[in-house]
Amino acid sequence: MDFNLSEDQRLLKDEIIRFAKAELSPGARERDELHQFPREQWDKCGEMGLQGLVVPPEYGGSGLDALSAATALEALGYGCDDGGLVFAICAHLLACVVPIWKHGTEAQKQRYLPDLSKGRLIAVNAMTEPAGGSDAFAMSTRAVADGDHFVVNGAKTFSSNGPVADLAVLYANTNPDKAYLGGVTAFLVERDTPGFIKGQTFHKMGLRSCAIGELVFEDARVPRSAVLGAVGGGGPIFAQSMEWERVCLVAAHVGTMQRLLEQAVDYARTRKVFGKRIGEFQAVSHAIADMKVRLEASRLLVYHAASRLSSGRTVGMDASITKLFVSEALVKSAMDTVQILGGYGFMTEYGVERTLRDAVGGTIYSGTSQMQRNIIAGWLGL
Amino acid sequence: MSNDQIKTTIREFIVKEFLPGEDPEDLDASVRLVSDGILTSLASLRLVAFLEERFGVTLEAHEVDADHLDNIDDITALVAERSR
Ligand SMILES: Cc1cc2nc3c(=O)[nH]c(=O)nc-3n(C[C@H](O)[C@H](O)[C@H](O)COP(=O)(O)OP(=O)(O)OC[C@H]3O[C@@H](n4cnc5c(N)ncnc54)[C@H](O)[C@@H]3O)c2cc1C
Repeated sequence: MDFNLSEDQRLLKDEIIRFAKAELSPGARERDELHQFPREQWDKCGEMGLQGLVVPPEYGGSGLDALSAATALEALGYGCDDGGLVFAICAHLLACVVPIWKHGTEAQKQRYLPDLSKGRLIAVNAMTEPAGGSDAFAMSTRAVADGDHFVVNGAKTFSSNGPVADLAVLYANTNPDKAYLGGVTAFLVERDTPGFIKGQTFHKMGLRSCAIGELVFEDARVPRSAVLGAVGGGGPIFAQSMEWERVCLVAAHVGTMQRLLEQAVDYARTRKVFGKRIGEFQAVSHAIADMKVRLEASRLLVYHAASRLSSGRTVGMDASITKLFVSEALVKSAMDTVQILGGYGFMTEYGVERTLRDAVGGTIYSGTSQMQRNIIAGWLGL
Repeated sequence: MSNDQIKTTIREFIVKEFLPGEDPEDLDASVRLVSDGILTSLASLRLVAFLEERFGVTLEAHEVDADHLDNIDDITALVAERSR
């Protein structure tokens, strides 16, 4: 097992960090206050190839393996102070672009992947429904076959990028007698499809520059050619996309934890109280030491799980362990950084309170922490 | 490994993990694993992970469906074809 990054991986990381600091972070606080999706910065990320990191070059992507993509996202999470933008890119790439790359027909891949990879199209993953996200396959959105079309009715919620999306990866039930296996079908639904309506856009605790909203389908007629994979085959496609999201999205958290650690160390080395630098107080230095431990453990989990993603094998349990640990580690480290910075940590100027608000979402999306524990227990036969 | 050996190995895993207390001999092709809800979403993922690990095969997500996993004979055929 080689834990060293290759020269290419290191160079890419450095390039993304430079790019993100210069082009993406400025204005992050204002966008948070305004709940504003940064289309201009999104487009710049597209030019960098971030929205298509794992897509093969013949479809306009960067052609990285999963581990290299994870290190690239780690760099983005470190350099980009706009957590909503990082999340928007990850949701687009991991829950939408990946399943199209993995399961699309040649025609679908040609039609969508080049523009998705360059950020010219924005995608949304539409799974969760208002009645409950944890039991996702108990969905009530139905797609009924009608000649060479399906007629879709239902509503989806908490859809990241939904309000600004051009394409939805929609999961709908096509066989009410079945659920995960055989019951659910994935569809690629274009923005202008009659009956596909954008509902409300939510105001949120964090990740505010990522637009999140409701999607409504009222007799939306979707052609059979828009089925992703096979009819009834949507369950495993969704599960696979969640494996990618649970591993690679939290790769960005690792970068964010690194940034928080550096902020906490800098502050603890310079802030003087009672005639001493606060880093000399063990209560502070130990909290920072624990942040370092969480960071390194998180990085190892991500690298290990990401390297397994590229092997093509099922990585369900690794993905849940990684997602659970890293998302909770980020919340704890963000909370500790706020505490170490004292009153300044609470104020918006330093950006740490924003990172904390953004971090909380990580314990809910892609399956809550409780659901990750349920999954891990299930893998153990419990 | 012969098809019979593959089938026995898979049968033992399914009974041990998802039908504890049942007689492995009763798990024949008439038992519908997906349609009858024995293979839930997590159970199907665990079965695939077991097949990949034990037989050194790789299954694509689109193969993990009711058509390929609904009974012990279909699963055996899928593994046998992949390990050839
Ligand atoms: C920032 C953000 C972005 C999101 N983006 C998307 C997206 O792009 N696409 C999409 O489809 N969805 C998205 N979601 C939805 C997300 O996946 C769901 O919110 C999540 O799965 C939980 O579903 P729920 O909110 O309906 O909570 P519920 O399922 O109602 O759960 C409520 C509470 O009960 C607990 N609970 C439920 N069942 C169990 C159980 N069996 N055992 C123990 N505890 C349980 C949960 O852990 C939770 O604490 C997003 C959510 C957030 C916060």
